[in-house]
Amino acid sequence: MSVRDEHALRHEVTLVELVDRVLNKGVVVSGDITLSVADVDLVYVGLRVLLASVGTLERLEAGGATGGGTGR
Amino acid sequence: MTGHSAEARTADGAGLGWYLYGVLDPAAERNDVAAGPSVDPDHEVMVLVEGRLAALASEVSLDEFNETVLPERLNDPAWLEAKIRAHEQVLEHALDKTAVVPFRFCTVYRSEAELRSFLAEKGQLLEDALASVRGKVERGVKAFADRDALSAGLGTRSDAVREQEQRVEAAQGGRKYMEERRLQQLLDDELARARSDYASSIHARLLEAAEDGVLNPPQSPELSGRDEQMLLNGAYLVPAAAGDFDAAFEALAREYGALGVTLELTGPWPPYNFVPRELGES
Repeated sequence: MSVRDEHALRHEVTLVELVDRVLNKGVVVSGDITLSVADVDLVYVGLRVLLASVGTLERLEAGGATGGGTGR
Repeated sequence: MTGHSAEARTADGAGLGWYLYGVLDPAAERNDVAAGPSVDPDHEVMVLVEGRLAALASEVSLDEFNETVLPERLNDPAWLEAKIRAHEQVLEHALDKTAVVPFRFCTVYRSEAELRSFLAEKGQLLEDALASVRGKVERGVKAFADRDALSAGLGTRSDAVREQEQRVEAAQGGRKYMEERRLQQLLDDELARARSDYASSIHARLLEAAEDGVLNPPQSPELSGRDEQMLLNGAYLVPAAAGDFDAAFEALAREYGALGVTLELTGPWPPYNFVPRELGES
């Protein structure tokens, strides 16, 4: 693995840590006063493998009770 | 209540909304907690005080943050990464100075008035959430184990494995193949048991040095970016100042390193894993 690849990998790993928290954790506000983006599964379509996997984790955590489709 | 920015309009007409990063103590109304870059670089991060709470928020263009265009934006990795990093940096900057209840990405209100009425309505729940993380931060601990290293670290084999090894020795032909398969299965089971035992022990030891802890599902190698299997993906709520947790981590890293397990510590993070996921009816 080249230095550049390693750098890219580290960058990606840090991003995974971030994505895992910022998209999957924290207080979620539901209701008509927000834009309700938090409810939308579409966050999983970006970044393909990365977010698809994070989405899988989240559904596992929620015991498959998140509803709203597969997010693909 | 009449939020003055409710009527704000940008040049192209969609107006401005308020992006909420997190909730803080109102005493945090200081220049030093609010710092950019915000998720919308045209607008600075601000602290809005409402009663006994304060919101860490910034105005955002509703041309950029609305239900219609967000699906597209979220499909754009460059946009998503920049906004996620901005969200985190704003929270981390505040975390250095005060307790923070982090909110999930893209929590947007159409007006300051709506944001303020949310704070007023959920005041008690938010105050409770804030109280539970005051003076504390989140640390992440992951444990990885390479199959061979883990196997070597196990040392002595169980009786079942040793007996099966003898059966493999004794068997011939097609029978030998079957016995080898069985041996492989026993070894896999043994490794799985070791991973699970190690994960439980590491988690228990870290909990002793923490106020609270949660186990998240281990990430797959494609997500973790590492070849080794992840056996622990924990988050821990620890005092912001104390070094007890770091000491516990270092001891575990040494101890389990000898068993073929690599431990990784991240943070301090805003306490994403230790705030209520949803705020129920107040």
